[in-house]
Amino acid sequence: MKKLLSIALATSMALSLAACGAPASSTASSTAPAADSASSTASSAPAESAEPVTIKVFSNLPDRTTGQGLVEQTIFDSYMAANPNVTIECEELDDAAYKTKFKAYAAGSQMPDLVSVWGQPGFIDEVIDAGLLAELNPDDYKDYGFVNGSLDGFSADGKLYGLARNTDMAAFFYNAKIFEDNGWAVPTTYDELLALADKAKAAGVAAVSMDGADKWPLAVYLTDLMEKVDATGVMTKNHDAITGKDFSDPTYTKACELLQQATTAGLFQPGYETADYGTAKNLFTNGQAAMFYMGSWEMSMASSEDIPEDIRNNIKVFTMPTVEGGKGTATDISAWNGGGYSVTASGAQKEEAIKLLNYMFQPDQWTRIAWENGVCMSAQDFSKFATGSETQTQKDLMNIFAAATNLSGTPLNDMGTSQFKTVCEDSVQELAIGKIDAAAFLDKLTTVG
Amino acid sequence: MKTVANAAVLQQPALNKKKKNFQPANIVLWVLLSFLAVLQIFPLIWLLDFSLASSNEMFTSGLLIWPKQIRWDNYVSAFVDGHFLLYFRNSLFINVLAVVLVLLLSVMLSFACTRMHWKLSGLVKGLILLGIMIPIHATLLPNYVIYDRLHLTDTLWALLIPYIAFSLPQGLFLTSGFMESIPREIEEAAMIDGAGIYRILFQIITPMLKTSLVTVSIMTFLNNWNEFMMASTYLSSPKWKTLPFSVLEFTGMYSSNYAVQFAVMALTAAPMVIIYILLNKQITRGVAMGAVKG
Amino acid sequence: MKKAYSNKAIIFSLVFPGILVFIFAILAPICLSVYYGFTNFSGIGSYDMIGFKNYIELFKDEAFQVSLRNSFLLAVGFICIQHPLAIITAAVLDKLGRHAEGFFRCVYFLPNVISVAVIAYLWKFIYNPSFGLLNNIIKLFGGKGDFNWLGSGSAIWSVLVVLIWHGFGWGMLIYYTGIKNIDPSLYEAAAIDGATNRTTFLRITLPLMRPVIQVNVTLAIISALKQMETVYLLTNGGPGNETQFMANYLYKQAFSSFRYGYGNAISVIFIIVCILATQVLNRVFKQDEGVAA
Repeated sequence: MKKLLSIALATSMALSLAACGAPASSTASSTAPAADSASSTASSAPAESAEPVTIKVFSNLPDRTTGQGLVEQTIFDSYMAANPNVTIECEELDDAAYKTKFKAYAAGSQMPDLVSVWGQPGFIDEVIDAGLLAELNPDDYKDYGFVNGSLDGFSADGKLYGLARNTDMAAFFYNAKIFEDNGWAVPTTYDELLALADKAKAAGVAAVSMDGADKWPLAVYLTDLMEKVDATGVMTKNHDAITGKDFSDPTYTKACELLQQATTAGLFQPGYETADYGTAKNLFTNGQAAMFYMGSWEMSMASSEDIPEDIRNNIKVFTMPTVEGGKGTATDISAWNGGGYSVTASGAQKEEAIKLLNYMFQPDQWTRIAWENGVCMSAQDFSKFATGSETQTQKDLMNIFAAATNLSGTPLNDMGTSQFKTVCEDSVQELAIGKIDAAAFLDKLTTVG
Repeated sequence: MKTVANAAVLQQPALNKKKKNFQPANIVLWVLLSFLAVLQIFPLIWLLDFSLASSNEMFTSGLLIWPKQIRWDNYVSAFVDGHFLLYFRNSLFINVLAVVLVLLLSVMLSFACTRMHWKLSGLVKGLILLGIMIPIHATLLPNYVIYDRLHLTDTLWALLIPYIAFSLPQGLFLTSGFMESIPREIEEAAMIDGAGIYRILFQIITPMLKTSLVTVSIMTFLNNWNEFMMASTYLSSPKWKTLPFSVLEFTGMYSSNYAVQFAVMALTAAPMVIIYILLNKQITRGVAMGAVKG
Repeated sequence: MKKAYSNKAIIFSLVFPGILVFIFAILAPICLSVYYGFTNFSGIGSYDMIGFKNYIELFKDEAFQVSLRNSFLLAVGFICIQHPLAIITAAVLDKLGRHAEGFFRCVYFLPNVISVAVIAYLWKFIYNPSFGLLNNIIKLFGGKGDFNWLGSGSAIWSVLVVLIWHGFGWGMLIYYTGIKNIDPSLYEAAAIDGATNRTTFLRITLPLMRPVIQVNVTLAIISALKQMETVYLLTNGGPGNETQFMANYLYKQAFSSFRYGYGNAISVIFIIVCILATQVLNRVFKQDEGVAA
């Protein structure tokens, strides 16, 4: 393994030297591979007579024609145009398949060079511990405008191992036309939200479209409720509960009960526990559901040509309403930095991959393109790209985020080990459909935590 | 005509009995048979129907629809973005290669085990036949480690080796059963004429095994054609990906467009349906041999 | 002449390639599984030997018990629903003759040649609670049509329906060819004796089909144990672990929970269960024969 690694390193070093004609001084630093990250400047000028380089990318964005996948592809294309010697080979899978395949890669020895990661303990901790990710140089990103704390999840022991792609926020997207036609008001309390279930039924639509088959949205929903019950320190609470194997804090029981109330009231569409992401989204975008509970990246619905015009122009946003007796206010929201990228330590093109990564996150790349296309809020300062001509959906989300007084941080399911994640997600689904009660749910978390 | 041909194939000369006496009971029978046929075939018709509609029409009630506009472009997307040609070619190539190698290895093994004289023949045969009971997925995890160490992941071998290995026991079982029924006098005569073992095996015995080889081919082909767990774990670049990937990749790529997803499913199913309809008789016969021999 | 048949070099050349593939792809991985089954390997990094801990945990693992139960249910479904239906259909088909026989045989077998990936996704759509084919049919007959087929409680039955549906043609075809191999003079003799269709079926067809039935029941049980692909795509074992099967569960443990060692322990038990099941069946059938004789 070691030998292989050093050969790979030596090759990539040689290649990168040839590629950008780096000064001789950097050759010396190559003896300390881990601490050495590539020269920060992305080579925007085409290098002459450069060796051909193939960077292997493994991405969780299979849809390359809309949304984040389009943004990623756009950047790859422009990078390849600027660096004719570079070929980017991208393998894409959707989230669930991605995570499985990533682990298979991790167990093997031939990892791609640049990979999608989640800066959350449930995903990244084991990977960093095993030394699979290359260390990045934080100084490279001083001027990149990353939001304070957004890179914390990608760091361990003061070292940086990845960059956050987005600032994610859990939200209810709602069809303003359905609300208007039926005379519904945006709910300000959880009870009002639950009351919409019956009204929706009467109107012949589902109230909230929920992706219950993938399970994690339910865990996010639960975390969202915790935020409303307790407002501060949800992430710390989760961390302590998992490491201390103690879920006796009443916040948990309360949030669990609130989640179950949603099912009892019929808030989510029938059969939501088997509806996957696409199904849940399609219900909403076809006007079969009044609301859709999902992350802020779905703002891209508003600019998607695939969605009927009278729906996409009427998508507005609100966040989890306050709960009775809860300490959280309307502006305490559930938000976190999840998805991002890392360069693998053993990849054949480590240095080239770092250059590509640095290029992707130059402020006028991912952040600008994502915002201008109404795709998502990056983890960097995107406000300077605001033009005022954004979609209503985008504006809503931006305003909510700007007004936020407290952010929940990483959702519960992603705070522990992979095993914790599996158990937590399986059982939060069972909890939601009422197969087990709050006590049994917390018991399962305690056993595995 | 068809049935007569089939009957002949199945060594059933006496099928030309009177079978057309219509009784009321027969009507019930026909209704039941047709009901079963609808049950088997309707989902496929449904699939075809919606693959030509637009995505929003999915949400209309009613069983089948008459699309407002026939959307052939669904198939264009499916064909192009599903890498149909590449994946189909890969599937065909890998499966045909697997079939050929399984045939070759089974014939060689079963000849050695049923004809040749050596001490371990019973043991070797028994060991390999045990493989029929081993589930292919139980080797998924350790094989990944092995292939990774040998740098076989993402190559043709990562699929070919397990596909051959897991079809071999069945191949050996069928061919050796058949080989035992071939009289030895034929070989002895050839031997006297000066033929060597290899010539006897490949020029005399193998052609006589034809029917059982057809069975082995069909079973191997159908089994491996469906496989995708190995493929999705061991492969990463599109280079050797097989046809099921057209479907698997599409759900992510076109998550919000059901009609195109339907089109890619129909397209993926098409080659085998066509092959089956064309080779209906041969396949039935092949399965028949398998049934008789077990 | 005998000499040529015991030529070691020739024997070796005939046996070696097959044995090599077998060892490389089946035997070696099984040994490796046994080894990893005793470790707490996560898939990456270092690991320790932990003895039988994985196996002890496995026997207490609820999801694993559910997997076994589901395999059992599926086997029962195959034996009690799919196979009787297949035999009867085959017997009826045998009497049809002409084009109808070929037509129905072709139609019944058709789903079998379609890739499992397509079948699984297709049924996912058929079961969809909002716009699926099944609920639309119920609506057509005036029902409410909002049943969640793959939901908790009903999911396992829905999965069984798909598997029984998909395999029906194969079973039917095998029985059909078995029946075709029965000596027609037996039927003629029965007809002369004035036997009804039912008695002919019970007295002639079934007893003569006995060996075919035995083999196919064995194969059905093994395939029930081996089930993976359809479930993986249709429900991935959910909701919770309600529709879990062994193969799918080991995959989930190894690659979703990052418990490679535990996954391998499941592999080992999986293989043992499959071999045991076949041995038991062979015993049962042998005894049965003895009694019958």
